[in-house]
Amino acid sequence: MLSRRLSLLAAIIFVGAAVRFSLPVSAGDEWLPITPEELKVTSDPKAPGAPAITLYRQVDRDDSDPMRPHEYNYVRKKIFTEEGRKNADVEIPVLKGQWDAHSIKARTIRADGSIVNFDGKVYEKEIVKARGLKFLAKTFTLSDVQPGSIIEYHYMLDFAEGYVFNSHWVLSDDLFTKAAKFTLKPYGQWALRWSWPNGLPEGAKPPVQEHSSIHMEAQDIPAFQVEDDMPPEGAMTFLVDFIYSEDTFEKEADKFWKKQGKKMDDAAEGFVNKRKAMEQAVAQIVSTGDSPEVKLQKIYAKTQSIRNTSYELEKTEQEQKRAKEKEVNNVEDVWKRGYGDGIQVTWLFLGLARAAGFDASPVRISTRDDHFFKNNLMNARDLNTNVVSVKLDGKDMYFDPGSAFTPFGMLPWSETGTPGLKLDKDGGTWVTTPNLDSSASQIIRKADLSLTSEGSLEGKLTVTFSGLEAVWRRVEERNEDEAHRKKLLEDYVKEIVPVGIDVELTNKPDWTSSAPTLVAEYSLKVPGWVSGAGKRALMPVGLFSGPEKHMYEHSTRVHPLYFHYMYEKSDDVRIELPLGWQVSSLPQPVTNDAKLLVYTMKTENEKGALRLERHLKCSLTILEQKYYNALRSFYQSVRSADEQQIVLQPLGISSGN
Amino acid sequence: MNSKLSCSRSAFLRVIDRLGFGPVLAVLAVALLSLPAPARAGDAPQWMHALVNVPLPEHDEKTNAVLLLAEDTFTVQGNGKMKRIERRVYKILRPDGRAYGTIYANFDAGTKINSIHGWCIPAQGKDYEVKDKEAIETALFGVPDGILMSDVKTKVLTIPAADPGNIVGYEMEQEVHPYVMQDVWRFQHIGVPVREAHYSLQLPAGWEHKEVWLNHSETAPASSGSGQWQWALTNVPAVKPESNMPPLSGVAGRMVVSLFPSGGSGTKGFESWSEMARWEDGLDRGRRDASPQIKQKVAALTVSTPTTLAKMQVLARFVQTDIRYVAIELGIGGLQPHPAAEIFNHHYGDCKDKATLLGSMLHEIGVESFHVSINTTRGGAAPDRPPTEEWFNHEILAIRLPDDVKDPSLFAILDHPKLGRILIFDPTDEWTPFGRLRGELQANYGLLVTGDGGELIKPPQLPAALNGVMRTAKLTLTPSGTLSGDFVEQRNGDYATEQRASLKSVLKDADRIKFLESLISHSLPTFQITKASLLNLNQTDQPFGYQYSLVAQNYAKTAGNLLLVRPRVVGVNSSDLLETKEPRRYPVEFDGPWKNTDTVEIAMPTGYEVDDLPPPVNADYSFASYHSKTEVSGNMLKYTRTFEVKELSVPVSKVEDLKKLYRIIAGDERNTAVLKPASH
Repeated sequence: MLSRRLSLLAAIIFVGAAVRFSLPVSAGDEWLPITPEELKVTSDPKAPGAPAITLYRQVDRDDSDPMRPHEYNYVRKKIFTEEGRKNADVEIPVLKGQWDAHSIKARTIRADGSIVNFDGKVYEKEIVKARGLKFLAKTFTLSDVQPGSIIEYHYMLDFAEGYVFNSHWVLSDDLFTKAAKFTLKPYGQWALRWSWPNGLPEGAKPPVQEHSSIHMEAQDIPAFQVEDDMPPEGAMTFLVDFIYSEDTFEKEADKFWKKQGKKMDDAAEGFVNKRKAMEQAVAQIVSTGDSPEVKLQKIYAKTQSIRNTSYELEKTEQEQKRAKEKEVNNVEDVWKRGYGDGIQVTWLFLGLARAAGFDASPVRISTRDDHFFKNNLMNARDLNTNVVSVKLDGKDMYFDPGSAFTPFGMLPWSETGTPGLKLDKDGGTWVTTPNLDSSASQIIRKADLSLTSEGSLEGKLTVTFSGLEAVWRRVEERNEDEAHRKKLLEDYVKEIVPVGIDVELTNKPDWTSSAPTLVAEYSLKVPGWVSGAGKRALMPVGLFSGPEKHMYEHSTRVHPLYFHYMYEKSDDVRIELPLGWQVSSLPQPVTNDAKLLVYTMKTENEKGALRLERHLKCSLTILEQKYYNALRSFYQSVRSADEQQIVLQPLGISSGN
Repeated sequence: MNSKLSCSRSAFLRVIDRLGFGPVLAVLAVALLSLPAPARAGDAPQWMHALVNVPLPEHDEKTNAVLLLAEDTFTVQGNGKMKRIERRVYKILRPDGRAYGTIYANFDAGTKINSIHGWCIPAQGKDYEVKDKEAIETALFGVPDGILMSDVKTKVLTIPAADPGNIVGYEMEQEVHPYVMQDVWRFQHIGVPVREAHYSLQLPAGWEHKEVWLNHSETAPASSGSGQWQWALTNVPAVKPESNMPPLSGVAGRMVVSLFPSGGSGTKGFESWSEMARWEDGLDRGRRDASPQIKQKVAALTVSTPTTLAKMQVLARFVQTDIRYVAIELGIGGLQPHPAAEIFNHHYGDCKDKATLLGSMLHEIGVESFHVSINTTRGGAAPDRPPTEEWFNHEILAIRLPDDVKDPSLFAILDHPKLGRILIFDPTDEWTPFGRLRGELQANYGLLVTGDGGELIKPPQLPAALNGVMRTAKLTLTPSGTLSGDFVEQRNGDYATEQRASLKSVLKDADRIKFLESLISHSLPTFQITKASLLNLNQTDQPFGYQYSLVAQNYAKTAGNLLLVRPRVVGVNSSDLLETKEPRRYPVEFDGPWKNTDTVEIAMPTGYEVDDLPPPVNADYSFASYHSKTEVSGNMLKYTRTFEVKELSVPVSKVEDLKKLYRIIAGDERNTAVLKPASH
């Protein structure tokens, strides 16, 4: 389906010679006055330690005349440190034939107020040139930029005739922004809607429309910072979205989605409605004696065995032509030709399930890997993928066999816990896909090892990845060979054991199915795991504690924490001691139950052998920043428990205790 | 480490590095895939088909592809025009080998690509063909490593069906206009064994040539007369990358071909280092002339400095910090500095610009200095290797020290037979103070360019004590196992640079502590920093330091009535660098010598005494030594250790010793003292 933007573009591109738009008087090379405060300032209390800040930014976009759309940009920055000087290197992207930058003016204002006008060269770099495409950058650097300097530049972007499109005001930036001003003169022939999906900076007033212009001012916009385990940037950055429409906009979300739901239902049913073909297909898949669940499992497995082109490597045009693959227009095509993309494969499952007598419905959902869905934004494209809802034993279950390697009854993480529209001819009803419990995605590590008298561990290790832990590994390795997969699995063990090891994969795991588990078997040697303490020997209990070693080591946090899925890790390690060695003391068992995070560890002496059991459960999906310290504290306690020592008494040495 | 320290002074950079504008390229690459295909795909040429069934060169299961044929033909025509024809034929063995189906061809103002043509012979089905017009041209995006503008571009051509089992190949013709009459035959590659490598040279009458082989025994050419020579090699093994290995130029097989036009005039290949230095001197000539503004600035900066040394220091600091690193490399600009006056006016420049400006400013106070071309990785240029621009990617300065300048802060001094004492200094390196040199430039050959020629020199290796971490801690342990107290970490040399460079990039004050937290988290599972400060962050002539206090709960573990205490507490010197299954092939290279020391004093809890102590460790090797001991004095547990790296390279024959040493260190770092309730 063409996006709204593309269809608009197609509608408004006019034929004609390019005419460069002349600068409006207000956007000439005049500079805004510089205040004594701007010259003097050496830091900003709202951005302590920042190498530079943006003192002022102005973006004036004018789409009012589709023959001459253009945008004026003005930037003023204050340099505080040597690192901040890199802001003096400026690059303005240009796409030949689509937009160009001109009237570039720049200057440096030294701390004493003296001015160095930019008189250097603006270089035009050809970044990418392919047939019919030329992506350029106009680049320049300012002279004599030192800490204390102000740099400023302004330029005009001219767009091609008819290049009126949905746009954004991106408020968040790498630098703290003291003040920003945005205006848009829209193309008046179509309706325009604007929204700010992630809110606005504190104190900023929403955009307002006065006469034929929309404008907004904002102050003290914090610098955008990237952190580990943060929600997708698309859900965090401050921006204002502008969307054009040829029709009037629906003001009520319910009405909007009802209308969109009907359109989506028509599209889905139009693709799926091949009842007879589906009934014939189902007859080849299921047996009459099968229970409903078995029937559905068989249909799911068969659907997943269809060649899923979404997971194949991109082919060149020549390869595609040679393959001569026909377009797929409905589920019968998918079934008969034996291929389809992920969306089509999932709709095939819908068709087959219905043909087998199940109450099944198409559902359009919004994945949560790029941003978080908000239905009041009324953006139909946000429902970006599909699943199937099936009533099984009176319960609504969700399936997406078009997501490769996803076991029966599960969804890929980005499709869990997210809103969707269960479609019907009346527009549908809102549903939320279930989150998977932590027990659905586990890593179980079972080791049977011997301790050598030199202090090394040797033996066998079996790691079982289940649920989503198996899925992402299979997806990632789908186009790789055995050697690559072997390395991935061996690297995993190197990562979890916190010291250097020798590890060798000894089995051939099942990489190609959607089985609930992926099992890897290894031979493992951990040199020097036991350390010396005079006449005693000490063994830490956290043999597989590597991943938790550096989790949340920093004391400060800006963003909320975001986890793809809930999971559990369970370790069961048996260690045979060398003949004559004895266990002097075992650490106390540990249970740290923080409800959504649970850690247990216990050690036992089983007739000359040690048994170590460790369990970590994480049932978090999103956590507010204010709970970060509690999270950090939990993982500190995990690390502390993992470093507990078993005291051993080597042969021939008495403990003295 | 600040990336600008490895600035480029050559016209060509590694191609793959410039593809860092992923999103743009990805979008356009996708666009390119959908562009119309040629009307009819042609068959691969006979020279490719002839290789379909040939035996593969020796390789292991991890080899992604093998190079069945690498053929280079370098031709100098009668009119002096030069062209190179490059043919490559790969057999793809593994999915990751698909990358060999994408050709990256560099070109710039002096290198034109006349044609580029690729083919695929699939295991089944008809051949594929792609031509020039399907290539994407790319250049730098953003300002990576301070390079604002460069004329180096890359043609990217994707060959269809570069899948395992298939054969892909290409032929490219380039017109070249080298600044120096040299060509390099690179016949050994990373990760790809070569079945057959051929190099052909064709010269007009009267031209001469001279070859020098690197990392490979010399092989005689076959001559077919009339100015044609051919070299051939078979079964060239791949270079397998290892951590801390020497640079590729130090291990991969190469043949450097120098050309000498008839009559001996004009541009030609270098016959000696001195000749190369003369050529470089020609590039620098006149560039150091001081403008009135430079003279004025020198006067202003030095007016209140009483000694020549102080004047030199203040000028050096000015160029290191006030001149912003920006590289604009167009044509010969990759090798030739801008005029000093221009650099000063703009207050920006690259490594050779900074060296030029400082040279100009030093001249104004009567101090002579010379350019030194060098590489930021040791192991390339050497006296027994041919002179070529290939070796160098950076430019620094050799400053002739006046007789009265004698100061204990000046370490990087070389005694030159003609010039006397020369100080090697890097004006691009804003972190290393005047008188010192960062590790990678120490004992690394560079080309000293003097007015009357020059020579290869070897900057000195500085004492290990100038580089490293000196950590002291005074701590107290409670009966419940909580450890608390104060640490002082003094970081010298590259260890200081590393922290200063990282802290420089911090966007807000609150994030400064994160570097310290990361350092400590490698040693302590649980800790709270209660106080922390930085020492000499911007005073680069002083050691950088962290001073901090922390509390670590449950640091000592209980075992019955015992307390188990790891006396090392913080700091890691061990490494798993050599914990691999594969035997080591290449020497282990260190950036520089260093010496780390720890002194940790832990006051034991009242009512406890030592039951058992870890044994002392004394490990001495020619390349490094490690000594540690844990002692008791009253209620104080004292741990001291020293780790010193003395040699910059550990040969393969001693790598097992290094592995053993790292294991000894790892063992010591985990060793534990056992405390028990006092018996009285």
